[in-house]
Amino acid sequence: MTGAVRATIASRPRLGIMKFASCDGCQLTILDLEDHLLDLLVRFDLVEFAEASSYRSSGPFDIVLVEGSISTPEQAEEIVRIRRETPLLVTIGACATAGGIQALRNWADHDAYRAAVYAHPEYVESLATSTPISDHVAVDAELRGCPIDPGQLLELLTALTVGRRPQLPDESVCLECKRRGTVCVLVTGNGPCLGPVTHTGCGALCPAYARGCYGCFGPREAANAPSLARWFGRDGRSDADTARLFSGFTAYAPPFRSVIDSLGGPPIASHSGEDA
Amino acid sequence: MHGTHVTTGEQRFDVQGITRVEGEGSLRLVVRDGQVIESQLAIFEAPRYFERLVVGRTPNEVLDIVARICGICPVAYQMSAVHAFEDLGEVAIEPSVRTLRRLLYCGEWIESHALHVYLLHAPDFLGCANAVELANLDRAAVERGLALKKAGNRIVAVLGGRPIHPVSVRVGGFSKVPTKRELQALRPDLDAALDHALATVDWVATFVAPDFEREERFVSLRHPTEYPMNDGRIVSSDGLDLAPTDWETAFQEEQVPWSHALQAHMGDRVPYLLGPAARITLAADQLHPTARAALDRIGLADAIRRNPYWSIAARAVELVHAVAEALDIVDGYVPPERATEPWTPSAGTASWATEAPRGLLFHHYELDERGRIASARIVPPTSQNQAAIEADMTSFAPSILDEPHDVATHRLEQLIRSYDPCISCATHFLDLTVEASS
Amino acid sequence: MVMTSAAVPGFLPRAGLDRLLDLLAADGRRVIGPTVGQGAVVYDEIHHASDLPAGWTADQAPGSYRLRQTGTERQFDYAVGPTSWKHETFPPRVPLTIGRRVNGQVTFEDALPAAPPVAFLGVRGCEIAALLTQDAVLARGIAVDRDYAARRAAALIIAVECVTPADTCFCTSMGTGPEVTTGFDLAMTELDDGFVVRAGSPAGERLLERLELTAADPGRTTAAQDAVAAARERMGDPVPTAGLPARLIAAAESPQWAEIAERCLACANCTLVCPTCFCTGVTQVSDLDGFEATAERTWDSCFTLGFSKVAGGNFRPRVQDRYRQWLTHKFATWWDQFGMSGCVGCGRCITWCPVGIDVRAELMAVAPPPPALKAAVGIIEPARPTTVKSVPPAASAALLTAPIPLPAVEELPPTYARTFVAERRRETVDTVTLRFDTSDPDLLAGRPGQFVMAALPAFSAAPISVSRFHRDGLELTIRAAGAATRALCELRRGDSVGLRGPMGRGWPVDAAEGHDVVIVTGGIGLAPLRPLVDALLADRTRFREIRLLYGARSPADRLYVEELSELAARPDLDVGQIVDRAGPDWFGRVGVVTGLFDQGHLDGPNAVAYVCGPERMMTATVDVLRDRGVSDDRIFVTLERHMECGVGLCGHCQLGKSFVCRDGPVFSLAEMGPAFGREGL
Repeated sequence: MTGAVRATIASRPRLGIMKFASCDGCQLTILDLEDHLLDLLVRFDLVEFAEASSYRSSGPFDIVLVEGSISTPEQAEEIVRIRRETPLLVTIGACATAGGIQALRNWADHDAYRAAVYAHPEYVESLATSTPISDHVAVDAELRGCPIDPGQLLELLTALTVGRRPQLPDESVCLECKRRGTVCVLVTGNGPCLGPVTHTGCGALCPAYARGCYGCFGPREAANAPSLARWFGRDGRSDADTARLFSGFTAYAPPFRSVIDSLGGPPIASHSGEDA
Repeated sequence: MHGTHVTTGEQRFDVQGITRVEGEGSLRLVVRDGQVIESQLAIFEAPRYFERLVVGRTPNEVLDIVARICGICPVAYQMSAVHAFEDLGEVAIEPSVRTLRRLLYCGEWIESHALHVYLLHAPDFLGCANAVELANLDRAAVERGLALKKAGNRIVAVLGGRPIHPVSVRVGGFSKVPTKRELQALRPDLDAALDHALATVDWVATFVAPDFEREERFVSLRHPTEYPMNDGRIVSSDGLDLAPTDWETAFQEEQVPWSHALQAHMGDRVPYLLGPAARITLAADQLHPTARAALDRIGLADAIRRNPYWSIAARAVELVHAVAEALDIVDGYVPPERATEPWTPSAGTASWATEAPRGLLFHHYELDERGRIASARIVPPTSQNQAAIEADMTSFAPSILDEPHDVATHRLEQLIRSYDPCISCATHFLDLTVEASS
Repeated sequence: MVMTSAAVPGFLPRAGLDRLLDLLAADGRRVIGPTVGQGAVVYDEIHHASDLPAGWTADQAPGSYRLRQTGTERQFDYAVGPTSWKHETFPPRVPLTIGRRVNGQVTFEDALPAAPPVAFLGVRGCEIAALLTQDAVLARGIAVDRDYAARRAAALIIAVECVTPADTCFCTSMGTGPEVTTGFDLAMTELDDGFVVRAGSPAGERLLERLELTAADPGRTTAAQDAVAAARERMGDPVPTAGLPARLIAAAESPQWAEIAERCLACANCTLVCPTCFCTGVTQVSDLDGFEATAERTWDSCFTLGFSKVAGGNFRPRVQDRYRQWLTHKFATWWDQFGMSGCVGCGRCITWCPVGIDVRAELMAVAPPPPALKAAVGIIEPARPTTVKSVPPAASAALLTAPIPLPAVEELPPTYARTFVAERRRETVDTVTLRFDTSDPDLLAGRPGQFVMAALPAFSAAPISVSRFHRDGLELTIRAAGAATRALCELRRGDSVGLRGPMGRGWPVDAAEGHDVVIVTGGIGLAPLRPLVDALLADRTRFREIRLLYGARSPADRLYVEELSELAARPDLDVGQIVDRAGPDWFGRVGVVTGLFDQGHLDGPNAVAYVCGPERMMTATVDVLRDRGVSDDRIFVTLERHMECGVGLCGHCQLGKSFVCRDGPVFSLAEMGPAFGREGL
């Protein structure tokens, strides 16, 4: 893009998209907005998005979308720097908002863990924990999900251009199940479902595909996880098996984390593994 | 973030953050007196320890977890894992379920290849830094690419609920299978996608690739009657022939100090390359007739084999294949009697290899007596390709030494991109048993 | 052959069901009825009798539903499942309006889809009661939901009496079943070899004639009655409803609510499976620039936090508040609002609660029956063919037989008057006053204290109090508290906006005649009181002393500063002002507004008070007023609540028995009773 073109579009917000420990799926969701992508790129000046563009910027930004959890010392420093460069920081996805599946290592002995995966652990720089962005810096907004929902992403970007509050309800998945006419899999016995305590946004996907929600959007507002866990335990399910239900992609988010703790920890902590 | 540092008699080329690839990697090439003394593809993506994360979990939980290794090719991880578990459990899935799995894979190939061809790779051939610049040059091309990508995503979404981390793959089948009508609804998009895919082949054939040739050892699956995806034997361009469960009998992984990903080698330590070029080279005879005709029309089969830049043509031909096969599957679909075959997990070894968009993806799990994962090894294509990429960088070096440094560095980055490295995938891996055996 | 007539039930052999379906199809009706899907009996499109759940039933218990095969050919041997007819009459998502905004000019266009003819097959007694209940809420009040009314009018009701109640059913207690007595076009009762069929409306009679049935023989008619009576007997009377509304209201502070909240997930399943729950929200689906947006009515629930949210706070943060709101509304305040119970006893909320909370047991725990009734709990009462319990069937029948009225006062989707900004005045750093020109007679006929809904495409419509009425327009004073109000504040002269109203009940000006008047207000609360001051001064001789007490955070946060000075200079009005934090230019009082009561004498027993401001300020003011002897029926307050519709249809603004938008926002303390200041209402 030439300087002249840039000058004429200076009113476009400077958007940066970055990642830490993650699978790239949430960034990819931006590219998955196929029908709107080119229109969005007229409205936003995408100055940093290494996955899709060779132009790089270290700031300043008007908006930054952050994918991934903080899991190395460098990342812990970098997120502080990015926060200084942007007035609006939005975390996208379960890794950034809750630490991701890799946060299960927060329950385990990290050195043993690393040795189990890498033959020469000394080569690998890694924090003992995988933590959400909000453990390190203030976060202005979050998109939940593993991965985020393209509709919610579009709603966020639209709200930013229109200047309104994004409509991102924090209600349970159940409302969406009911609206789309999906029969409750929990009540019909088609599997345990975290939907009642999970943040909406996926469109109530898993129950529509005849399986229970596994909580990838994380705990919703007022998530009464202990009550649901007690209910799961009613039909003879062991504490460990109930704990594994919560030990998914948002296990480290507080209401789920405390339930997992109260039930003896996630499978990762209870299983000795093969690294002895 | 390109940087070159010239010291006496030494040229160093560093790209600290390679762009337009999945995940975070860097490259370093050090040449002293015309000799390459360091050629490294460093993968510094933060490790996430997936092989440890699955320990203690049930096979169906593993399908959800390993998808998260990669947002670009989650289906591939689900496929290698689900076949491994079904192979262990001797689960006979219905033929139409097997066909749906191929359709799911077709969707992922289309989405992944369209992404790479149009948004990541083509800009290099046309002097653009990204797809926005490409759109300014040729908006119709980018729109075609996005339409293709959307068609692939729609297939995955119909079968699995969403394009990234789909939710329906279960050991024994799917939690829910589509109705005939739901699949038929894909047809208009797929009809258009076939035209787009054929146009893609013709479009990339007009590109001018840098003049670079080398002899490569290729490895892929090969199946007697199908283009390789979920099934087949592991073969190489120099005569290897293994069951898809037996990868470890011929390959080993090792850690190198500069990378968070393990590298893989065959016994002779000659690097090998996986992916579209390998499949086209080793299984072109199994391409869908429409794709085969497209390949013949552009006459680039030989170039695909010799020049890594022409992988873009291999991807374009595979786009045609995946769309054409998806259309066939949609038209011939008869819903299975039941979505899932009953299955009880048991102790044992589960292993399998399938063809991810970027090449052979091998999984190995040990299950304990409760049917829970005791240990795991996941060998993604990009970590296997690392050694071949580094070797190619070494071969490529002489052709750029006379260029200005920033141009040369840029050329190197472009070379890396042509392999479509998936760095998020490549990062994790391995356990101590490998060190013991290496 | 004896042909059936309106008076004589006919017999439809099982094989004849397809003929009924064919007739309905020939009439152009889609048929919705029971079928097995997703592990349950759900309502879906029925093309052939073979689509019906022949040989299926379900075992239901709190939090559990399991399909089971019966081995018979019977097609209606199940109790109600997870879907209810409101999916058809009141769909989860309905587009209301399409708004467009180009160069500051707005237009709104009706987006309601058509309501094609439909037949509901297999409607139970409790479900007919649910339809009649939603009729009362959505189609027979002062506001009418046009989409609901159209869909309801397009639906033919073919009831099938329930003879297989589930363990979760309690229609007998609620007086809604299992007998089908009203509200149907055709009613059938299933026997082993077919159905006894009777007509309940002219449309049903015509259909019955075209079926050309033989008359049901007395044996069959009796068998049908016996089967329903047996169903009644099996259910007994699990919920003693005598005095239940009063018992529940009295239990507002019961510790039991907190105990339930330990179990309740606030997941909202109970409200969405409930066939009478009607709360909705409006979502805006807009293009990237907000130039065009569709406003969609969407099912909502009082169990979500967002439901009762207003800028800067939430009225029901705790789960126990939300559960209390739901249960109390269903069984108590629904009576105040609509003259009937909000519960029909279908038991869906029990079966489909993911943690098996049983509303029957919770009612007994929260609001136990008096001892005399207690003895009867659990005892199965003898069958009573014509039960008269909580819902007088006569009332229901009257509702049905009356034609669905034309919109009485208001309707949804809303129609907005396009109104132009004539003048814009900044009041404070975040507040502006906009003067709108309009010739809309409704808007111009507003009274002090009423509000309008102000709509801009892509933003949710905002309730804004009118801050002055003119002959040819009105003023709105708006604080940029959220996105919608910010967008309104940014309007420029000549821009247009959609206004709807005026709405609600304003200040009772006449109540002050011959009395002292004290007006107490804080911050932006002065805006809705300004038309009241205008009205009092316009007719000054009718009132005795008038005092205006105004508190603000700082001098710069005061509205209408020049006007206040002019008012203060008048001999016939006493104006007191006070600020929390003074600046260098402030020489007046510092403190909270109640501090101003120190000045001058207040003849409490002879005074009328009008109060508007933050909830905490109003509570403190009311304490002082009561202390000075002002009686509750002469203290008027205006309340802020979450509002989506403004006409009492969306449910968000409920406060006890009242819809704040419709019954308020101005209330006397006497009207509110204990609801004033109660936490979590």
